[in-house]
Amino acid sequence: MAVALNPHRAVRSAAVSRVPLRILTAVPICDGHDSAVTAINIELARHGIEVIYLGYHQSVSAIARAAIQEDVNVVGLSSYNGGHIIFFKEVVDRLKQGGNGDIPVFGGGGGTITKADERIMQRQGTDRIFFAGTPFKDIMALIQRDYARTAKPNAKFKGDRALARAITLAEQNLATRHSLRAAPAQKRARSFVVGVAGPGGAGKSTLIDELTSRFLLKNPSGRIAILANDPSHPDTGGAILGDRVSAIYAQDDRVFFRSLATRGSLTGLSAAAPAAIEILKRSGEFDLILVESVGVGQESDPFGSFGHGRCLTDAVLFVLAPHYGGLIQLQKIALLNGADLVALNKCDHPMARTAKAEIQARLNQNGRGQLLHSTTAAKHFDSGVDALFAAIAQLGGLSNSSGGEKPCQLEVAP
Amino acid sequence: MSQLGKIADSVDSYNQFVSAEIARARSDPKFAAELRTRWAGLRASVGLTRSPTGTPLPRLALPETDEPGAIAEYLFGQGFPGQFPYATAAYREMYLDTAIGTGEEPMRLFAGLGLAEDTNARFKYLSRHQKSLRLSTAFDGPTLYGLDSDHAGVLGKVGEGGVAIDTVEDMGRLFAGFDLTRKDASVSMTMNAPAPVILAMFIAAAKRRFGADCVPNLRGTIQADMLKEVQAQNEVIFPVDASLRFLCDMIEWCVPNMPRWYPVSISGYHIAEAGATPVQQAAFTLSNGFTYAGLLKQRGADVNAFGPRLSFFLDCGLDVEYLVLGRVCRRIWAIGMRDVFGADAKAQILKLHTQTSGRSLIAAEFQNNLTRTAVELMVAYMNYTNSCHSNSADEPFTTPTEKYALLASHSQSILLEETGIFKHTMNLFGGAPGLLALERQVEQRILGVFREMDTLGGVIAAMEQRYQRSQIQESGHRIETQIYSGERPIIGLNKYVSDEPMPSVPLARTSPKKQRLQVERLRAFKKKHAKKTPDALQRLENVTRDGGNVFSELVDTVEVCSLGQITACLTGVVGKFRPMV
Ligand code: B12
Ligand SMILES: Nc1nc2c(ncn2[C@@H]2O[C@H](COP(=O)(O)OP(=O)(O)OP(=O)(O)O)[C@@H](O)[C@H]2O)c(=O)[nH]1
Ligand SMILES: [Mg+2]
Repeated sequence: MAVALNPHRAVRSAAVSRVPLRILTAVPICDGHDSAVTAINIELARHGIEVIYLGYHQSVSAIARAAIQEDVNVVGLSSYNGGHIIFFKEVVDRLKQGGNGDIPVFGGGGGTITKADERIMQRQGTDRIFFAGTPFKDIMALIQRDYARTAKPNAKFKGDRALARAITLAEQNLATRHSLRAAPAQKRARSFVVGVAGPGGAGKSTLIDELTSRFLLKNPSGRIAILANDPSHPDTGGAILGDRVSAIYAQDDRVFFRSLATRGSLTGLSAAAPAAIEILKRSGEFDLILVESVGVGQESDPFGSFGHGRCLTDAVLFVLAPHYGGLIQLQKIALLNGADLVALNKCDHPMARTAKAEIQARLNQNGRGQLLHSTTAAKHFDSGVDALFAAIAQLGGLSNSSGGEKPCQLEVAP
Repeated sequence: MSQLGKIADSVDSYNQFVSAEIARARSDPKFAAELRTRWAGLRASVGLTRSPTGTPLPRLALPETDEPGAIAEYLFGQGFPGQFPYATAAYREMYLDTAIGTGEEPMRLFAGLGLAEDTNARFKYLSRHQKSLRLSTAFDGPTLYGLDSDHAGVLGKVGEGGVAIDTVEDMGRLFAGFDLTRKDASVSMTMNAPAPVILAMFIAAAKRRFGADCVPNLRGTIQADMLKEVQAQNEVIFPVDASLRFLCDMIEWCVPNMPRWYPVSISGYHIAEAGATPVQQAAFTLSNGFTYAGLLKQRGADVNAFGPRLSFFLDCGLDVEYLVLGRVCRRIWAIGMRDVFGADAKAQILKLHTQTSGRSLIAAEFQNNLTRTAVELMVAYMNYTNSCHSNSADEPFTTPTEKYALLASHSQSILLEETGIFKHTMNLFGGAPGLLALERQVEQRILGVFREMDTLGGVIAAMEQRYQRSQIQESGHRIETQIYSGERPIIGLNKYVSDEPMPSVPLARTSPKKQRLQVERLRAFKKKHAKKTPDALQRLENVTRDGGNVFSELVDTVEVCSLGQITACLTGVVGKFRPMV
């Protein structure tokens, strides 16, 4: 879900064309104090920064994984429930172990982190602590001064970080060739790519996460990638990319999750999305790649699925909720013609019954035998999601059998 | 679907009723005479007392009037203390005899640190300086999130910010030496998602010590308010519907079995501390309360049975609206419960716990926090809160150390026992014209939020749309920007700043040695019960799956299973909560 920015005045005008800084923010495990971090997120985005917010109660491994996959400039932790000396150290160490020690870590925790703590923490690799009473203005100025740097190709990066860096380069508008070269391209490309589109709030992100859980269960060794496109703020250029907060099944090393801000692109995808897909495909790492577009209107076609030119993805999943308005609105949704798979989500809603009939009738007009899937993504273990996953698996030649276990037995951190 | 619109309307119609009664009192001589007689009776019932300097005083301050309109305004608009609509107070003559020792003591000091025995020692230290047994427990992060102390990556948080409790044995150690069956003993526990497990451990530990028949005598409160967890405090483990089911199971078990226990404390404190304005705090808290009442009714529970077992918890900060917040909340709750839920008198009363605001306490020149807390305490008691926690001056830095915890405790004793403000006469301030005007404003703004949420489909639907969270976060951001722009003066931070260097403040932290000891204890418990654990968990799983009352099963499960084992089992059945930004 893209988080609406605070209506307060933008701090920096959109005309500034610098590449936005990317920050990962999070609150440590067993800690739910998010009031400071959510205020800081708003403030960062107002300053034109892209914030990838991971949420509260986050483990060291979830934080390190997100920092790597998002290829952020810096990680900001907000810790209140104590144990910060150990926790910050573990995050720094985890990053270092994987060859990602170039990503600095800083944070704050009001009065709970003392000056003496900071000295120890700095010795152990934390960059700096923002103490209680530091004005937002000063925090922003220091971040802009010390952490804004343009990403460069780095041959030493391995694994997910190499992929992540390639995507960052693509986002910086460096020639796609460049980024592709930076990506490790060896193995046979075998990815099945599904574009996921639909109106804002229909449940695309939630559904993707539930599909992720099915994938992980049914494919005990495969990997899945998710590209989550969310809008940049039109005035500030900043963004709060909050999809990871709700992606509970993405906290697994078999999932590569990357948030992409649209940075002014109006297609429903980041301009770097085609390159990012290509990078992920070329890596040969992923059996399934799911690409979520921003919430789309009636006429949009983010993946180019209408047959003119090349479709970006192998298949398109269109997700809508029962609140589409009525039959006339339904007629006008162009993607209902182009989509290979259609899901009516939020089937727990009382309006779902009527919606189901109306949409199926609308699909029948197309004469393509499109089947409507009824899902309730907000519910775990929903059989409609099972069926949708089976359909995707069949289209993409993926495994849908090796499980039998319940999704709840997945390792969901923490 | 949502009752909030109806409740807002019921408050408006009640206000119209009050206006009509005032007019009738002024135009209908028979009604006026009736009111005068009733008023004379009430006034005659007020006892007399004397201040230490000899000034004669009534034990209850009532408006000095014989004008029928004013009498109607008071009796219907505010209510004689302990009478509908309860704006003045839940009960008559509160706090008066606290100083001489016969009154109910309102002080509850939230405490928790280190391992069970450390908190036990803190309880003993505090209760040495208080009149009655008032044990209010803070738990550490792992416990709040339902994890065992040996869970990967949590060791550093064990015993920080609260006490580490993994098993029924820890629970026994926590309250060792206290007679929990004493009439004036009261235990409260700030525990939410794992509340059913922790309360089950409390019951099991009490049964071990006081025998199986002690349960009806146990008195206290467990927070267990999951709606505000989703909205503000962020301790949610299970999906919302499962969380609410576990809560309702517990309430339904407690109502007949633990008549002196409050199985839920519907809390605005965390909503306000996360940044909400006083009006948002009140609106979200009351609407959450009405949602619980609706859910329980839907499950077939009797509103007159569970109504009196619901309790409330509000913040008290320095914003002017706090002068009246408790009064306004009691009034809206009473009207809504009576007129929309058909509740009887006992089920209409909002029983209130208040905590002074932690967020108003500042690291810079932190000794000023003593003054801030003292002012907030005064305001909280002006609202006739039923119980109250006062924060320690070292709040920004650490779990309170002994020194500041004791100062916080004494701040309440000074206010209630040393000063004459609350000792002789109840309701010295209520009914002041300025306060009444403020009350009307605050009430209308709360009803406005109710109506907005009603259009979103009610509390739970609004929550799914992130309504409460986004409102709270925006307000939280606004507070910080107002502080740094100077619009909110904070002495010592953005105004009248002195150059003194920050003193170093002693910290209450838990040593790694203690943290390891907790893990060893837990492992020993797990080993001891290893044979019985799987069966107990299997039974719990079955009850959860089959829709039985999970709480009544938990009371047995905790005998042989740890908190983390139980959480994992329940998550296995119902899945995990999907958090929101
Ligand atoms: C608000 C608050 C709460 C709210 C939190 C609401 C929410 N959703 O965030 C509520 C009431 C829910 C709460 C609950 C608890 N709390 Co609390 N809480 C606080 C309080 C009062 C203020 C913290 C705050 O948000 N301040 C506002 C922020 C904006 O300002 P700041 O903290 O000064 O931070 C500045 C800088 O440090 C910087 N900063 C902070 N983080 C970051 C991160 C980055 C990346 C950057 C760049 C900057 C930065 O930004 C700010 C501006 O300069 C503090 C005490 C205090 N007065 O500080 C206790 C406090 C943090 N809580 C504490 C505790 C113990 C708890 C509980 C565990 C209590 C319990 N046992 O039940 C629970 C746990 C809740 C949970 N889920 O984890 C303790 C921690 C003690 C310790 N570590 O030893 C404290 C210190 C109070 C105390 N003395 O007991 N709490
Ligand atoms: N009742 C119900 N709510 C759902 C369901 N699926 C998702 N939601 C809720 O709908 C809201 C929006 O879900 P998202 O998954 O963020 O929707 P989205 O389409 O990704 O939204 P954008 O990316 O902002 O366009 C969230 O509050 C979800 O919890 C469902 O099946 N039933
Ligand atoms: Mg989304």
